[in-house]
Amino acid sequence: MKVLLIDSEAERAGIVEAHLAGAGATEVVRPEPGEALPDAVARSNPDVVIVDMARADRDALDGIRRVADETPRPIVMFVDDDDPAFMEAAISAGVSSYTVVGVEVPDVKPIVRAAVAMFRRYHLVEQELARARSSLRERAVIDRAKSLLIRTRRMSEPEAHRWLRRQAMERSRRIAEIAAEFVASVNHEGDGTANNKPGNTGEETTNDR
Amino acid sequence: MTDNAAPVRLGLLPLTDAAPLVLAEADGIFAAEGVAVSLCVEPSWANIADKLAYGLLEGAVMLPPLGLAMALGMRRAAAPLLVPMSLSLNGNSIVLASRLAAHVLEDGAMPAPGVAGARLRGLLPSGPGLRLAVVHAWSTHDLLLRYWLAASGIDPDRDVTISVIPPPEMPAALAEGRIDGFCAGAPWGGVAARIGVGHAVLHSSAIWPNHPEKCLAVRADWAERAPATLIAVMRALLRAGQRCDDPANAPDLANLLAQPRFVGVEPALIAASLPGGAGEEVDRSVFASHGAAVPWPAHARWFAAQMARWGAMPEDAAARAEAIYRPDLYAAAADTLGMAMPDVTATGAFVGI
Repeated sequence: MKVLLIDSEAERAGIVEAHLAGAGATEVVRPEPGEALPDAVARSNPDVVIVDMARADRDALDGIRRVADETPRPIVMFVDDDDPAFMEAAISAGVSSYTVVGVEVPDVKPIVRAAVAMFRRYHLVEQELARARSSLRERAVIDRAKSLLIRTRRMSEPEAHRWLRRQAMERSRRIAEIAAEFVASVNHEGDGTANNKPGNTGEETTNDR
Repeated sequence: MTDNAAPVRLGLLPLTDAAPLVLAEADGIFAAEGVAVSLCVEPSWANIADKLAYGLLEGAVMLPPLGLAMALGMRRAAAPLLVPMSLSLNGNSIVLASRLAAHVLEDGAMPAPGVAGARLRGLLPSGPGLRLAVVHAWSTHDLLLRYWLAASGIDPDRDVTISVIPPPEMPAALAEGRIDGFCAGAPWGGVAARIGVGHAVLHSSAIWPNHPEKCLAVRADWAERAPATLIAVMRALLRAGQRCDDPANAPDLANLLAQPRFVGVEPALIAASLPGGAGEEVDRSVFASHGAAVPWPAHARWFAAQMARWGAMPEDAAARAEAIYRPDLYAAAADTLGMAMPDVTATGAFVGI
């Protein structure tokens, strides 16, 4: 079974492609760079089209039906009406799939399922990465705020921590937000000691707890 | 007063005529009506259609022909939908590559549709040489473009090719020579002019003055489960639409829509297509004033008949289209706002070019 895989994320496409082979796809084709979707469908004549929902030009696939009335191009249609829960999961994962009319849905399903599983896993990994990056950034800004408090207000490190925590509780905000605001306000005041590179002030106050 | 607490998820695309939803959120009109709404900006009409079909959206700004196609089972992933109100009138422009536009515009002023059509026909090579694009196979754009071409003696299926390209990509497609022209909503015609690749030769409002453009489509099962929430959403959109119609609000509205989360182009390009806007590169939308948001059954009939005309809908489906439009729901929401309700059994007079 020939699958046309359309995914703007090259890395993910590679992972999904490898996985599809294991799920029964005999051939996986990808569009040429810059190739329009209808052209890719016409060129590769696939049985199934699996497409990343973030691609705006997916709308072109809805249009192929009409073209198919006049030319012997494959008719592509949305999979599948008999399992709404599965399609909902697919759409949440960012995958849409179309089958060419004539292909039995039971044959297609494992392949679409495999793609959905890989999309979802990739999505989770990305979310975790984003979370990790943002928590690193937050840690840096909190350290920066503490270092400024210690220097400009002569607090100890635990006092600086308590001060930030109290502000956060009183204003129902997160500590990182309070810290960012504080750092920005000090920088804005033009405090000569402020500088945008945490840990680069030559002081021993950047704590890493 | 609404039926439940879960936010109502409404889908939209980055287009100027999504203004009533964007304003209703920003000005707290949804909240004032007691309804929690979460706006979902989607990259394509297909996403909106799929998410509606599989229950990931309760409603959306919709192209009426696509909504009818879904509701009548023309598109796999069919879904029972209702159209309780229209969201905008007018707003699309037909843009041609500069060299073609110069011939159609001649002295620079935008000609009447018949004149523009005749001039375009004079430019046609034999065979389907002219490559035009619309935003979706089932769109107002496609039907009005075809209507105008056919009325001008140009066969939309044989004398030209019509492809589908997302609205934000139209200017680039024109610049790269992949197409010779397009029909799309604002601000994309203005963007094409700004980057110097094309000019509007006709507004959709010249083909059919005050034609229905986008509508609100909601899942029928949700509307049944949450009738009070639906009315609250509609009241918010009607109030927001009336604010959008006031030219005094256009600068703020343009700034709001210009945000990257929504349209993401400079405010001046957006303001041009809002009420009170200026310039010929984009058409101007009308939202909710003067009964603009009434979902006329005659509109559903016109769309369905045109879709059937071009083989995009069987005749029996066309006959069922009218029932998708629900002026009774519009009346229920409009009445509570003191907005007048016209007699929707009147035919709604489109006589054509």
